Amino acid sequence: MTDLVRRSLAELVGTFILVFFGPGAAAITLMIASGAAKPNEFNIGIGALGGLGDWLAIGLAFAFAITAAIYAVGKISGCHINPAVTIALWATKRFPTNEVLPYILAQLVGAALGSLAFAAAAGMDAVTIGGLGATAPFPGISYGQAMLAEIIGTFLLMFVIMGIAVDSRAPQQFAGLIIGLTVGGIIITIGNISGSSLNPARTFGPYLGDFLLGGINLWSFFPIYVIGPIVGAVLAAFLYDYLAKE
Amino acid sequence: MKCYICKEQGKDIDAVAICIVCGMGICMEHLVREETELWEGGYPFPAKKLKKTIPRIVCVICHEAMEE
Repeated sequence: MTDLVRRSLAELVGTFILVFFGPGAAAITLMIASGAAKPNEFNIGIGALGGLGDWLAIGLAFAFAITAAIYAVGKISGCHINPAVTIALWATKRFPTNEVLPYILAQLVGAALGSLAFAAAAGMDAVTIGGLGATAPFPGISYGQAMLAEIIGTFLLMFVIMGIAVDSRAPQQFAGLIIGLTVGGIIITIGNISGSSLNPARTFGPYLGDFLLGGINLWSFFPIYVIGPIVGAVLAAFLYDYLAKE
Repeated sequence: MKCYICKEQGKDIDAVAICIVCGMGICMEHLVREETELWEGGYPFPAKKLKKTIPRIVCVICHEAMEE
């Protein structure tokens, strides 16, 4: 097995972990809250039970899953588990061009398998009620607002990756924990705006799972979760390079 | 400096190295020299094994303990 295939497989496993446990937590929250009274139209079920605490729980599920994935496969593949991160590292000449496509393909396959595995484990309610944790703009949030939230959210994620992991002056060994918690924090704030994907693969998995298993069709929103994260990540990488240069 | 292990056995042999674990002076007979792989990098890049290895010298007692 070539080195690239082995590393791509590690990316697949890492993204599987992210999508099974992260969006899975969002789906479970909706399933638990199913039938509960919703205080207003902005609330679709996440927040019906614990308010912002529901988002904290989802954010922590993402945080733990990302931290686990980074410490598990970070040394093998780099554990991007996010096409936006891969593209930002490539754009700043830190990642070889010929490896971008295999990595992104592996991330998408891992995300799809993660969503399908979650549906298999949790049952069809995860699809019909939980939507497999798919992201979409929340009620009252426009296409443009959701994309802006994704740009800013992914900007913060990539900015932290640059500072804590890419920069050789960063303290060692903390990256997995800090980046996981960063994603958790972002989700708490923009979760109820855009769904806080920050990652095209994270949205692709549930979208494909819902599509294949007869759930809601949300593909018209997919550009938000492709363009937003990529723009945010690339901006952050270039800005960090500018700010940090000697 | 003399070899500690030899001294314990009543012999008076010059030490040629120091065990990196316990600091004991050791002769050629009581040392183990191993080549250690060195990796650099890691998240968000794959860690890479360096082409050359790093030599490491330990005494036979520490080597035996680490093997267990």
